[in-house]
Amino acid sequence: MKAETQQGQVARAARRAVLVDGLPVATLGAVALALGSNPDQSPGQRAWWITTTAAFSLAVVWVLLRAFRRADEYLRRVQLESMAVAFAAVLVSLQVATLLDAAGVVAIHQVTQLIIIGGLAIWLGIADLRTRLRR
Amino acid sequence: MRNRLRELRAGRRWSQADLADRCQVSRQAINAIETERHDPSLPLAFTIADVFGLSVEEVFQPERTSAPGDPSQSG
Repeated sequence: MKAETQQGQVARAARRAVLVDGLPVATLGAVALALGSNPDQSPGQRAWWITTTAAFSLAVVWVLLRAFRRADEYLRRVQLESMAVAFAAVLVSLQVATLLDAAGVVAIHQVTQLIIIGGLAIWLGIADLRTRLRR
Repeated sequence: MRNRLRELRAGRRWSQADLADRCQVSRQAINAIETERHDPSLPLAFTIADVFGLSVEEVFQPERTSAPGDPSQSG
């Protein structure tokens, strides 16, 4: 019973750490996405969009580094495998977005951030499901 | 790689979380090694063997049918 409680606490602490890291970055990504949604930006708006996007990119790198440092060898393997799937999804999505941009259906500078946020969601989702479902 | 983790753990009445704490890895890692979904690195294999007070060979056994360098297997 004590071990189960301890295990629950460890799992909760790990999830809390992911949320503490992930939520601000996801929020920043959404803000960057919103700032870049206007196709006819003024120089000031463009500067804000570039600043927010740069901050978002750095925050993503920071979250990745923290996740890898926190993980042991098994969790690191799970994270890398999940990241490979997410990377493949991002590559295919970017290719499709490029074609749609060329056809004039979407604006690629708007869709790119959505694709990267989607890739992050796929990465975190697969990694979480793999460690959560295989107890 | 086959291993005796579950048996050794049960003998000491340790949970996976207890063993994970002693080895300083996650409980998921212990579970993955126990169910043979993950082969531990050499340092972790030595740590696990140390925790049980055994040698690596007593905890882990490779899944091969013949001994390495067996002359009967060479062409």
